[in-house]
Amino acid sequence: MSVETEQSIATKRMPAGLGGLLPALTLIGLFFVVPVLALLLRSVTDPAPGLQNYTALLGDGTYMRVFFNTFLVAAVVTIVTVLVAFPVAWMLAIMPPALASVMFGIIILSMWTNLLTRTYAWMVLLQRTGVINRALMATGIIDQPLPLINNLTGVTIGMVYIMLPFMILPLVGTLRAIDPMTLRAAALCGASPFQAFRRILLPLSLPGVAAGGLMVFVMSLGYFVTPALLGGTSNMMLAEMIAQLIQSLLNWGLGSAAAFILLIVTMALYALQLRLVGARRATGGI
Amino acid sequence: MTQPFLSIRKLRKAFGAFTAVHDVTLDIPKGEFLTFLGPSGSGKSTTLYAIVGFQDPSSGDVLLQGKSLLAVPSHKRNIGMVFQRYTLFPHLSVAENVAFPLRVRRRPDAEVKKKVADMLGLVRLESFAERLPGALSGGQQQRVALARALAYDPPILLMDEPLSALDKKLREEIQAEIRRIHRETGVTILYVTHDQEEALHLSDRIALFKDGRIEQTGTGEDLYLRPATDFVAGFIGNSNFLAAEHLETVGGAATIRLADGSLVSGISANGSFERGQKTRLMIRPEAFRLERNPASAELTVDVVDVAFYGERRRIVARTTTGQEIDIRPTSAAMASQDATPSRRQVFFDPGAAFLFPA
Ligand SMILES: Nc1ncnc2c1ncn2[C@@H]1O[C@H](COP(=O)(O)OP(=O)(O)OP(=O)(O)O)[C@@H](O)[C@H]1O
Ligand SMILES: [Mg+2]
Repeated sequence: MSVETEQSIATKRMPAGLGGLLPALTLIGLFFVVPVLALLLRSVTDPAPGLQNYTALLGDGTYMRVFFNTFLVAAVVTIVTVLVAFPVAWMLAIMPPALASVMFGIIILSMWTNLLTRTYAWMVLLQRTGVINRALMATGIIDQPLPLINNLTGVTIGMVYIMLPFMILPLVGTLRAIDPMTLRAAALCGASPFQAFRRILLPLSLPGVAAGGLMVFVMSLGYFVTPALLGGTSNMMLAEMIAQLIQSLLNWGLGSAAAFILLIVTMALYALQLRLVGARRATGGI
Repeated sequence: MTQPFLSIRKLRKAFGAFTAVHDVTLDIPKGEFLTFLGPSGSGKSTTLYAIVGFQDPSSGDVLLQGKSLLAVPSHKRNIGMVFQRYTLFPHLSVAENVAFPLRVRRRPDAEVKKKVADMLGLVRLESFAERLPGALSGGQQQRVALARALAYDPPILLMDEPLSALDKKLREEIQAEIRRIHRETGVTILYVTHDQEEALHLSDRIALFKDGRIEQTGTGEDLYLRPATDFVAGFIGNSNFLAAEHLETVGGAATIRLADGSLVSGISANGSFERGQKTRLMIRPEAFRLERNPASAELTVDVVDVAFYGERRRIVARTTTGQEIDIRPTSAAMASQDATPSRRQVFFDPGAAFLFPA
């Protein structure tokens, strides 16, 4: 919701004082546009002018696997996040406001906690000899430690945990806007709880799911810390590959090209999200 | 009728220490239009919610054709309901809203289509089938809600102040529609309102609620002409209450002394009173006449103001002890009078006046 208000304020002020925006525009130009242009330039000039970096990336099976893996992880994380966030958001939406604000406080507090700390905490929990495996083995549910870390499972768990607030917050807004009487009306019409969910609640909350899901997906595409620490070498993600290309291999051209591709994909998805949000506003929040 | 169609037995609902509904008992025959009337917070909605299963009663029972509904979940009770606020599904067209109860019952497409057309015809919205609810006026939305509630032929239709958000003209239009639908479908209707005119105009019977209890159940005429309590008398129609001292009651006819010292006998007494007990005498403004007749009692008043209201006039007058009263004789009766003197006698039939405890 805050995105919307910021946008409307911006569009209102724009015609009045373009001159007043100059410092901001300069700042964005200096710290965003110039580096991106430098990146683009580097990707087509290093080590020699031409598109060979892009053809190398898109033509090579290893690199393509990283691209594929990146999208796979982002998609899995998004789906799992939506599945976990929906019931949580629903509970937050219907619980008494006082209790809900305490819950929001806890969620936001977790967002403020250092990312690295939280990821290390998961390492401790998920290891072969970690708390989870030991607890499961002690209760006799399993007799071999589960492989929870250095694979897709570990990355998914760690990233879903980090992404949850970004999904829950917009979803609570959407769910709160749904009149609970609508659901009672559905029940009286003869809809079972599942039918009421599928035919009424889900369609009405779809804009929130789409907005939050796209945000999570976009953020996941460029994620570095969590996949690097909890993922395995066989499922490396793009951000990690870029870091390796530049830091270890000093291949600035290839690294820049990969970064540029990631940027384009991200921006395209962001544009899609803006259109979704815009469409929602056009239909009056439905 | 041996077994009532819908039966509410000693229904009680408490929220923590607060009891919203106390021991409400009602029997509703099939096809009746029964209205819950009462001030805000008197427990009307809470009673309806217990019938549809949105709220579990603290005690008591709700029976449909002799079978308890309490263990049946809301979506299986097969009761139609129209709410005060519009509760249409905003993402579904008018036709799909009406079709919804049939779709969740997995009725065949052809049947759904036919029923939707019938229902939209019933509420006269055929040409709006493809619109979204957001593109309808409030009155149209409530008509769609009505069509949706009737689409699956529920034996009972509940309406919780369905017209209170509408302006007067729309309200009257939909009231007429509801009466027509009741006539045509024969559905049993439980209707909630706090508008007495609406209640009198629509219903076969009225249950008047006060503080979670039913004060009186009866036809509009019963409540108006034979109010069981002073609350009923005050809530339905207009009424004057005069302080009076009870002297004696013989065979249901009481004799009292008014504050100005005059004696009146032949009053209908509600309940029994002690000698000398402080009471209140209720007289409808319309019950006053300007001419004496053999059985009438009289009251001396000073006329303060006379206003013309079409078929009736309204006289504001003061008793000799200073209490203001409202008198509404027919205009024809007034016209036959000469100039209205400022102090005069007005007359009433003691049988149309009611005595209540003070
Ligand atoms: N969920 C609840 N928790 C606590 N008290 C409640 C609850 N629902 C209703 N009440 C109380 O119960 C009483 C009866 O409420 P109810 O809604 O039945 O009144 P009503 O007759 O429908 O009034 P209105 O005409 O204003 O709709 C009110 O005093 C209300 O405050
Ligand atoms: Mg109510």
